[in-house]
Amino acid sequence: MHAIASWLGTFYEGTVFIYGTVLLIIYALLALLSYGAIRLFLKKETYTNYNNLLNSELAPGISVLAPAYNEGLSIIMNVQSLLTLNYPVFEIILINDGSTDNSIEQLVREFELVPVDFAYNPRIRTQPIVSIYRSTNAAFGKLTVIDKVNGKSKADAVNAGINVSSFDYFVCTDVDCILDKDALLKLIKPVMDEPHNRVIATGATLRIANSCIIDKGVILQMKPPRNLIARFQEMEYVRAFMLGKMGWSRINCVPNVSGGLGLFDKEIATKAGGYDPMSFGEDMELMVRMCRYACDNGIRYAIRYIPTTLCWTEGPSTIRVFKLQRTRWARGLAQLMYAHFKMLFNPRYGRMGLITFPYNFFFELLAPIVEITGILYYIYLIVTGGVNYKYALLLLLFVYSYSIMITTIAILWDQLAFRHYKSWKEVLLLCSTAFLEFALYHPLIVIFSLRGYYYFLTGKKHSWGNMQRQGFGQQKTT
Amino acid sequence: MPNFSPADEIGDGFRIPYLEQWMSLPVIIRIAVVFIVISTLFIVYIQFRIWITRYNGYLHEKRTRKVLPVIDTLIAEEILMKSDAGGHARINFDAFRLPLFYNRRNRQILIDRLINYKRSFTGSTGDLLRQLFLELELDKMSAKKMKRRSWNMKVRGIRELTGMDIAISDVNILPLTNSKRHELRAEARNAYIKLSKNEPFKFFDISSEPLLDWDQIELFKTITTTENIAIPNFARWVTYSNNKSIISFCLKLIVHYNQQDAAPAVLKLLDNKDHILRAEAIYCLGKLKYEPAEPQLIHIYSNQPLNCQLQILKAVGRMATGESTYFLRQEFMYSTDFDIRKNAAMSFIRNASPEFINELLEASNEENKLILKHSMNPLIKY
Repeated sequence: MHAIASWLGTFYEGTVFIYGTVLLIIYALLALLSYGAIRLFLKKETYTNYNNLLNSELAPGISVLAPAYNEGLSIIMNVQSLLTLNYPVFEIILINDGSTDNSIEQLVREFELVPVDFAYNPRIRTQPIVSIYRSTNAAFGKLTVIDKVNGKSKADAVNAGINVSSFDYFVCTDVDCILDKDALLKLIKPVMDEPHNRVIATGATLRIANSCIIDKGVILQMKPPRNLIARFQEMEYVRAFMLGKMGWSRINCVPNVSGGLGLFDKEIATKAGGYDPMSFGEDMELMVRMCRYACDNGIRYAIRYIPTTLCWTEGPSTIRVFKLQRTRWARGLAQLMYAHFKMLFNPRYGRMGLITFPYNFFFELLAPIVEITGILYYIYLIVTGGVNYKYALLLLLFVYSYSIMITTIAILWDQLAFRHYKSWKEVLLLCSTAFLEFALYHPLIVIFSLRGYYYFLTGKKHSWGNMQRQGFGQQKTT
Repeated sequence: MPNFSPADEIGDGFRIPYLEQWMSLPVIIRIAVVFIVISTLFIVYIQFRIWITRYNGYLHEKRTRKVLPVIDTLIAEEILMKSDAGGHARINFDAFRLPLFYNRRNRQILIDRLINYKRSFTGSTGDLLRQLFLELELDKMSAKKMKRRSWNMKVRGIRELTGMDIAISDVNILPLTNSKRHELRAEARNAYIKLSKNEPFKFFDISSEPLLDWDQIELFKTITTTENIAIPNFARWVTYSNNKSIISFCLKLIVHYNQQDAAPAVLKLLDNKDHILRAEAIYCLGKLKYEPAEPQLIHIYSNQPLNCQLQILKAVGRMATGESTYFLRQEFMYSTDFDIRKNAAMSFIRNASPEFINELLEASNEENKLILKHSMNPLIKY
């Protein structure tokens, strides 16, 4: 019995060692790849004149889809902000997903809306649409408002928007997000600039808006959040986008285009079935299905990311809201892996099947499980006196210093490219947050992820997952 | 745990402190310790790099803040005011030969600023700015960039020379229009169109590499905004080019310049095997309102894929001859495809008389009625 336990212990330690080593190597490779991708992007950006597209009659049309549920606090300001985007041919489709507040009344009053007989093709099945509104004021001619029965998910709302949209590309965003004025110009460029593949989706960097100085839906000055939880997320976003997504983009293995801001090829998205209303990670799920559709139909596709920050979102600033968000994300990931398990190591799905999916499975889905089993194993070793404390401390220090190094590299890439934040002290504040992540932030993510997996296994009921927001409209303008 | 002692001895008296204790540690621990040291040093280094990056950025901004007003004042006094005064005033180019511009970075700021001004001014002011660029021999700096190995420096050089309307010899620029690096290729094509005195569209003949959508946007801007450019009949390339992207681009230019005499060549594209190109040709014919094409479009309609069928419906609507009303009505009433019915309805509304529209409205089922109302509503654009 003791021999079996000993063998199991050795096997576990060996497995975790290999697991950890591979993960560290992947992070190092991502750091290198993202550096190359950012450098190339910046070189190209120097010679790019977006005004040529802005004034061109050849620009492809884009539909901007903004689903909203009980966003009455800031909905007017956010729609006004969306209407001022710089792009020659676009429409804003706001989908009011059966809000119980006075969102629709506010919209009708502010934008002089009237219900219209609107014919659309329900290619993707959604909850019924109650009414479609257009403005009688030509100044709001780009706006279409859909009022629909609540579908209990953002996915259902966006699908309704896709059905009503007119153009070949759609941008999906949240109505509470603040977009850069040139977001559409910058998102469409990778689609038009790709020589060999069909770009089915483009994403850009998202940042936390919590402490930024905002005026009438425009970011005047970026600042790292004062709230510690929000600041952790800012740091995490910088790492995820500047290092992770840019690195994956370099080898055309982007796993996901964020739900906060992404541009999609409507034909592929529709043929892939649109967003899954039952999914908790609808953005990632759609991406996987779009890739799957492209592979099944012999379409050479690409998913591209750009490092420019084009979207700011309000990050959860309390542990309660943060818990809800991360539980939902983890549950979405588990759902996704379960639904598309056949893609794992399946060469039919190219890079998605051989690189992206295995990475997500082993290093995103399994990571919290590996960590929690590691902690339990540690406790067992402590009880049985099997821990060499000096070695354990050294190994812990190694992981700690490596993780800080990776985060700091991501912040460096961000600074090399864009020099966000006005003062050096603000950058230092963000860098110093990395020192606390290991002890304060990371354990929370592990716990909430496990909670998400538990809900996935037990099939707990789901809802829109609306965060309690303060609304940018309430912030002091400068 | 090994017993650490401060020193170990190798050979005859040379001592490396703690070597024996170090070697007695497990390999994993040794690797971990090495990485702790590397990571720590790297973190310190990165912090330093961040600080340096920001400081350099600050210095650049400071430099720009210092140099730009000098340049602006000089340009205002020597170029803008004197060009306003007419052709008699003598421009003192020596005023620009300040020690400030001996510095490379400051000279680069000057180049960028001049290009910026040149973009805003045409006519005599533009010519003076160009002359200033040449007098200060800044063109040599740009030409040097074109000779550099890195593609982005070449692009920069081309862009500077193009921005200032400085001629680049065909020998230097034409090979670059077929470069494998597409950014360089695009820039060279732009420059060639803008600067070539003889045949600005010559590269259309030799271009084997595809013209990406983004390149088309930039070329389109260059072609449609460059002064004194002889616009050829683009039907030439529609007929003879083997490069599909060139044909596609020419179709867009034919629409922009409303080249009616190119329509017969476009009509021949309806036999092309590529359905995307066919759809673009149909779109072009519709935009040209080339009525002789209408019977042929309706004739081929039933054999076309969906994208071409939709373009035919739109084209017929744009031509608005009133001769295809029954065809449009037929498609609207009996097609099972929603997009076909919607496009047929939109074109039908353009073509038919109010009585005919009302008649159709009454004969339609609920869904078709909705489509007709949608098409008639002035508040709905698409």
